[in-house]
Amino acid sequence: MTEHHSRRHFLTAAGTNLTGSLALAYLLGQEGARADTGKPTLEKPVYSLLPKPAPRPPRAQAMISLWMQGGPSHLDLFDPKPELTKNHLKSHGGDIERDNAGEASPKLFASPWKFEPRGHCGMPLSELLPGLAAVCDDIALIRSMKTDVNNHGQSISALLTGRITPGRPVLGSWLTYALGTESQNLPAYCVLTDPGGVPVLGADNWSNGWLPSLYQGTVIRPREPRIVNLEPPAELRGAPQRRLLNLLDDLNATHLAAHPGEHDLSSRIASYELAARMQTAAKEALDISSEPPAIQTLYGLDNPASREYGTRCLIARRLIERGVRFVQVCTGNQEWDHHGAIETALPNTCKKVDQPSAALVRDLKQRGLLDTTIVHWGGEMGRLPVIQNEKNIGRDHNTHGFTHWVAGGGFKGGIIHGATDEIGYKAVENIVNHSDLHATLLHLFGFEPQALTFQRPTGPGSLIDGQPARIVTELLA
Amino acid sequence: MRKRTLRRGSAAARLAALLAVCMGLPARAAENQAFDETARPILKAMCFHCHGEEGKPEGGLDLRLVRAMLKGGDSGPALEPSMHQESLIWERIESDEMPPGPKKLTPDQKATVRAWIDAGARFDSSEPDSLPPGPAFSTAERNHWSFRPIQRFEAPGVTQPAAIRTTIDPFLLSKLESNGLSFSPEADRTTLIRRLSFDLLGLPPSPQDVAAFVADDRPDAYERLVERLLANPHYGERWARHWLDVAGYADSDGGPSTDPERPYVHRYRDWLIQALNADRGWDALIREQLAGDEMLTQPLTELAGDDLNRLIATGFLRLVPDTTTDSAVDAVVARNEVVGDTLKVVGSSFLGLTIGCAQCHAHRYDPVSQEDYYRLRAIFEPALDTEHWRLPKDRLVSLWGEAERQKAAAVDAEVAAIDKERVAELEKLVQIVLERELAAAPEAVRGPLREARDTAADKRTDKHKALLKEYPRVLVSTGNISLFDAQGTNTVEGKYNPKMAEVRKTRPVEDFVQVLTEVPGQVPPTRLFYRGDPKQPKQEIQPGELSVLAERVGAVSIAGDDPGVPTTGRRLAYARHLTSGKHPLVARVLVNRVWMHHFGRGLVPTPADFGALGQPPSHPQLLDRLAADFMDQGWSLKNLHRTIVRSTAYRQRSTRTQEQDASDPDNLLLGRMSIRRLEAEEIRDAWLTVSGQLRPQLYGAPVPVGFTLDGTIALGIEKVDGNGHRTADATGLNGAQFRRSLYLQVRRSRPLGLLEVFDAPTLTPNCDLRGVSTGSTQSLYLLNDADVRATAAALARRSGSAHESLSSRLEHAWTLAFGKAPEASQLELFQAYVTGQSEALFRAAAAEGRKPALATEQLALETFCQALLASNSFLYVD
Repeated sequence: MTEHHSRRHFLTAAGTNLTGSLALAYLLGQEGARADTGKPTLEKPVYSLLPKPAPRPPRAQAMISLWMQGGPSHLDLFDPKPELTKNHLKSHGGDIERDNAGEASPKLFASPWKFEPRGHCGMPLSELLPGLAAVCDDIALIRSMKTDVNNHGQSISALLTGRITPGRPVLGSWLTYALGTESQNLPAYCVLTDPGGVPVLGADNWSNGWLPSLYQGTVIRPREPRIVNLEPPAELRGAPQRRLLNLLDDLNATHLAAHPGEHDLSSRIASYELAARMQTAAKEALDISSEPPAIQTLYGLDNPASREYGTRCLIARRLIERGVRFVQVCTGNQEWDHHGAIETALPNTCKKVDQPSAALVRDLKQRGLLDTTIVHWGGEMGRLPVIQNEKNIGRDHNTHGFTHWVAGGGFKGGIIHGATDEIGYKAVENIVNHSDLHATLLHLFGFEPQALTFQRPTGPGSLIDGQPARIVTELLA
Repeated sequence: MRKRTLRRGSAAARLAALLAVCMGLPARAAENQAFDETARPILKAMCFHCHGEEGKPEGGLDLRLVRAMLKGGDSGPALEPSMHQESLIWERIESDEMPPGPKKLTPDQKATVRAWIDAGARFDSSEPDSLPPGPAFSTAERNHWSFRPIQRFEAPGVTQPAAIRTTIDPFLLSKLESNGLSFSPEADRTTLIRRLSFDLLGLPPSPQDVAAFVADDRPDAYERLVERLLANPHYGERWARHWLDVAGYADSDGGPSTDPERPYVHRYRDWLIQALNADRGWDALIREQLAGDEMLTQPLTELAGDDLNRLIATGFLRLVPDTTTDSAVDAVVARNEVVGDTLKVVGSSFLGLTIGCAQCHAHRYDPVSQEDYYRLRAIFEPALDTEHWRLPKDRLVSLWGEAERQKAAAVDAEVAAIDKERVAELEKLVQIVLERELAAAPEAVRGPLREARDTAADKRTDKHKALLKEYPRVLVSTGNISLFDAQGTNTVEGKYNPKMAEVRKTRPVEDFVQVLTEVPGQVPPTRLFYRGDPKQPKQEIQPGELSVLAERVGAVSIAGDDPGVPTTGRRLAYARHLTSGKHPLVARVLVNRVWMHHFGRGLVPTPADFGALGQPPSHPQLLDRLAADFMDQGWSLKNLHRTIVRSTAYRQRSTRTQEQDASDPDNLLLGRMSIRRLEAEEIRDAWLTVSGQLRPQLYGAPVPVGFTLDGTIALGIEKVDGNGHRTADATGLNGAQFRRSLYLQVRRSRPLGLLEVFDAPTLTPNCDLRGVSTGSTQSLYLLNDADVRATAAALARRSGSAHESLSSRLEHAWTLAFGKAPEASQLELFQAYVTGQSEALFRAAAAEGRKPALATEQLALETFCQALLASNSFLYVD
């Protein structure tokens, strides 16, 4: 066959076999990424997205992070404070760190919403979260989150990359670097952005930092076309495009042979192969029309308030089902940053997010996927117990104590971990900071948290980065 | 509730540890080091706030000074040198009694403090006995490398002097040699001309240029090439793009609502291109960008030539996002953000400092106090006066002189006269209709009806109104006469409208420049904002240089009473101060940027942070030497380019070797060239060049971008249909869609597909350093995007007409793309590819029941061209 013949000629330098994808053969056929041996490598390591076993049997194999950028008010959703109710609108004597001192008020502000015990476990949740209430026996509430850096950007960096300084890899990049992906037809790490804009820090929320660029998140747009240029042109569909890709592969292989050790070139070759396979696989994965009406209703697709977010949660499940390692479902830019008008704005955001988030837990469970899939829900901060702006009541930033919830993948259900102080300002009991959360997640994925490293010129880099980090065993099933 | 005594990983502890690392210290410091290098960074982060920096020290104890610790506070001496167990400070921190609150010292930090005490609590003997309250900078902070004076270092000796071509070579080579390495061999000429062309012009060389250079056997062929490229006007475009990133150039205001266009800002871009092509000294360019207006005589009218250019240059200070017209944004906050962003741009572009961090509190890492920040702000505040805020439309200065103004007034008067005639004729028609309508009404009401009609609308009685409601047709007027007498109206309009249009054409078009100016005599006081909150102003602050720099280069001397400068003269004084040749940061920062764009990485890899959190220079003496020479040689960018690109270092091969990779995998020592991916604009410009579509004209208004039906962004004039659907229509652009990417509109809310996918910067407010990503979205773009395919089709057409042989077209296409001919064996394979692809296209069409494209071979050739454009050989420069 002439095609084969021609390919062989191109490949004298690369010397790889010719079947299927040259790029993958080159990239994926070799020992992979996990550089946790600590030994300096003499040969340049080759990075891949092939699935790699974790060092220990893992509890979790995939993760969906529902990323609530802006800072949901734990005081109005997850963390009832009788002390606030008692002292509603009384001045608070103690020190409070604020972001906006200009609109600061010393007055305590009780949650305007009722809390009631829910589920068999009796977890008290706000009336704003009826959806979550129905699955609360499957979630673990962490009421003692903290990062202690009182602005969005730094706290996002801390929670996603382990440090407040920019430029580091995010959790999703670490997991795909360490474990590859079960699907060679879809991006290993998908980010479903919101029509309300990308989170603060933009692409840093899914940046590979100094890990190879293979491990950065792939953005899936909030509206059609969800992936731009996903459709091949009609006249090139099928064999002609395959031939075009083969030609490109050949040209790139010759070029790579003359540029040994250039990772970026190899990554780009692999990204063509992924792009080619995505054309069919991603289209199918992103198409929710085949989902039965009951499932669509479960995710709130029949409700205008939750339809958009529900669609993305449903897509997230479909991606995980198809082997994607990590999915981030974002809310809009600063969507939870309720500095003002919290009494109208917060219920609106809850209506958008609550039912779909809960549906994801329920749906994964009924499919038997929750055992191995972590669902994580939370933002970079909570809110303050005192009023910001008495004329238009809101709550200012609070990174000293806030709430996240986690479910599945080895987390215990129906429990509440940690506590904030009497007014919900600071986490005081069983504190879980970002490094503790990271350590716990990495543990569930089968890693010794400090040992998952990447060899940098300056020494091994890691998500934990030598910080004290505790695996929160109380959260584990 | 259980009280936690030791919190893990507190932010402040991490900061302190980070600080220690940045200062080149292990967490557990060497015992013989003094206070500044050991315990101080920890105490600064954890204790200074209450014990020295803010107001009266707690317990009368100032921990900023070792002398003060020895003297002690209310509880007696805090320190007993060499005996940590006898030292009160140790007792308090060891037990976690101090600091109060949850943030405690980590075990490593405690060990550092203990080791320092036990080693005798050494400190710098120049330490004063006391300090006023406020942040105090340590000697180490004040002596940070980038604050020290620039020195003209002599070149070090090397063992291979033959390898030395320009100033930079010995500095690089000596370091390579001391690491047992050396320069790589020179790259071949085809590689060199491609590298130089992209670096200096942002465009690929033509095959003719490549052939001529390869064949040029004159000894100075390379130097001649460098000169030819530096003299090419596209040079200014390429290097303007770099500066526009740093300056934060965009053609729109930004903001959450409408992101309005900034129609005249491109004149700044064009000024920059001209200045770069003319190789004007950057000392002058800095002065003009910061204070061009203060070099002119008021009032700012009848401007032309250099004066006009000086005014245009101040557009630099008008580039940041501006939401002050956006009703969704609080006005005070929005104005303050514009000032803050402008200072951030000034800080990152000229000073290489993240001064914005000191807006709310003393900089946590660098010796910049909050007062320092407001000193700088005071320099700019007379022009960025938040009390007398100028909205974007009020920042425009008309380019009309008196002559144009008179001409315009004359035209307006002439048009008005014609219009008067037109209205008079229409009024005649109105009267005819009115009489007809009145006649149609019963005679009894005609009088009152006429009266009702002739009464002004707001004076009409209820009776009038009732009558008019019954006979509305008497309300005929020159405005609605066409409804009553279409033909008559058309005749009148047809007679006068063309006349008026004709006259209007002679009206000169008013053009504007966007500027930053002060109102003479209007000088707002600058106040320090408590925690950066503009709603909490505190003490007044006078303009000046950062104190840590003022110590080195002297205060900014502001001649407020200079009769030549009617405005405050603050910016002019500051700009002169920055370009005096003594400032330690400005030249280093500029030179480092130029270096970064040639070698892919700065000598300081953090081009906008020369502070403690930035990375120190890999070759500090080289950076200084380049900065010193740059200033000595008239701040000429082109001279700097010559020094760099004519060097042996720049002319090296980019191929990695095992030997180098083993000791210097990231090529920090530059023992080879690094390959780099083309930037977004270069990719598009190169595609347009090789496919023969590029429109090379310079300057002018930006090419518009708009939404397409599918919600992506494309070039074109945006049109909105009845359903509110927007489409960008490129047909009206008349080829402007093929201009260089520099001229495409930068609308902050509308990033253009290709540019966004290939990492064009998001300007919030500016971009110090572009990222380089690789991902499947790029690959999907390269495979399926209509623009790529159109470019490939253009390249296929350019490769020859259908009656030329396939092999010649393939060879031509390849040569256009890469500047050199393919090898004969490759060509055979390409032919086989096109033949096979042609068949495959035919079969694919048949299988789907489509009519096959008439010329499958042409389409096959297009896919070949697409592969070339998308290949790594095209996208990367060696």
